Amino acid sequence: MAEKNEKDLIGFDPLAWMNDGDTESSAQNDNVDTAHTVDTEQVALAEQKEELDTVIVTEAAIESDLVEGGNSQLILDSTLNIQNVSHLYEQLLVLLEGQDKIEIDASSVVTVDTATLQLLIVLKQSAVKLGKEIIFDFPSDKFIESAELLGLAEMLEIDQAAAGFF
Amino acid sequence: MADRVVAIINQKGGVGKTTTSTNLTHALAKAGKKVTVIDLDPQGHLAVSFGVINPNRPGLDEIMLGDADITKMLVPVRENLQLIVAGPRLQQIEQLSDGGAKRGDLLRKALHENLNDQDFVFIDCPPSSGVLVANALFAADEILIPMTSDFLALQGLSHMMGTIKRFEKVLNKKYKLSLVMSRYVTTRRISKEVLSKMLKYFPNQVLFTVIRETALLAECPSFGKTILEYRPGSRSARDFRSLAKDFLEGKVM
Repeated sequence: MAEKNEKDLIGFDPLAWMNDGDTESSAQNDNVDTAHTVDTEQVALAEQKEELDTVIVTEAAIESDLVEGGNSQLILDSTLNIQNVSHLYEQLLVLLEGQDKIEIDASSVVTVDTATLQLLIVLKQSAVKLGKEIIFDFPSDKFIESAELLGLAEMLEIDQAAAGFF
Repeated sequence: MADRVVAIINQKGGVGKTTTSTNLTHALAKAGKKVTVIDLDPQGHLAVSFGVINPNRPGLDEIMLGDADITKMLVPVRENLQLIVAGPRLQQIEQLSDGGAKRGDLLRKALHENLNDQDFVFIDCPPSSGVLVANALFAADEILIPMTSDFLALQGLSHMMGTIKRFEKVLNKKYKLSLVMSRYVTTRRISKEVLSKMLKYFPNQVLFTVIRETALLAECPSFGKTILEYRPGSRSARDFRSLAKDFLEGKVM
């Protein structure tokens, strides 16, 4: 049975029996070397995790693309602060100029400062004046918490967005 | 029989089997593949997801319990995509007590020498481990397991793998196994930990694209639309288009 590591969120490993040494019970892939040592597995796992993290980070960084129907989507970074607010401002200006509807994915946000929230409020107000639409998709708990703390959740309409996400 | 017969299976409920069946098959059909999808779940949710809402419409039940010709039960639901609905009597299969081992062979026999023009037949399985799922495992050569990133899903997968291994032993065949991370919440640490477990035990078998959890995927069945129709520009639609590409190309993590 797998041992519990205090930092892990998974205690008992229900799949541990699959690597019990019985070739019939080992992993399913024909390419799997059943004589794999624990060390090589751990190295491979670490590499796969690293690769996955890279994919996720890269995706978050580049996923500001036009979508069908003239809408546009922007995925916010995990950390939003004064250091990167100007870059975000430029991105939003371009989107606001060219699109009627902007979807902002806030699911990855871990920290957001007042400068960024102010920018988003201004964006929302500007959009309303121009008859355009700004939607916050999948706001993270931290994003909602920060907006609520500053009393901006209602203005950003993220309370409605959060209700649709489970 | 079709080139590839794929059972979308997981004994645990709520992991995204029907969502995957609906949207992956539509994405493949839109990519030009000829696809038939079979609703093996007596709840009939797959049909509803495609906008076929007549609960009394006969389908797989009459094929498996009666002598209906499978080719007469095909419902064209989209271009390149046809559906076989579950039918109101499908639940009765689970209660079949005569016929012994033959009960598990009903679907395989129905597919035999039929649907030869299809690139894929997908079977959307019920969240159970009874006779219906046995029929899917008899009929399929490939298994696609949608997995959510929580502990109970891992526990369910362990059970599932035990079932699959028993079938492999009895039927003397080896399934091509793929897994897809479904309802994935990128901001949760446990999501990554479960994914790490998957990569550890199923190397080269977890499809590269994860299907992220969104409200849109929960909304579209009520409109009888796939995500590719409901919100074609959404990230969920992109996820499924990308997953279809992975599935065709065998792209894994």
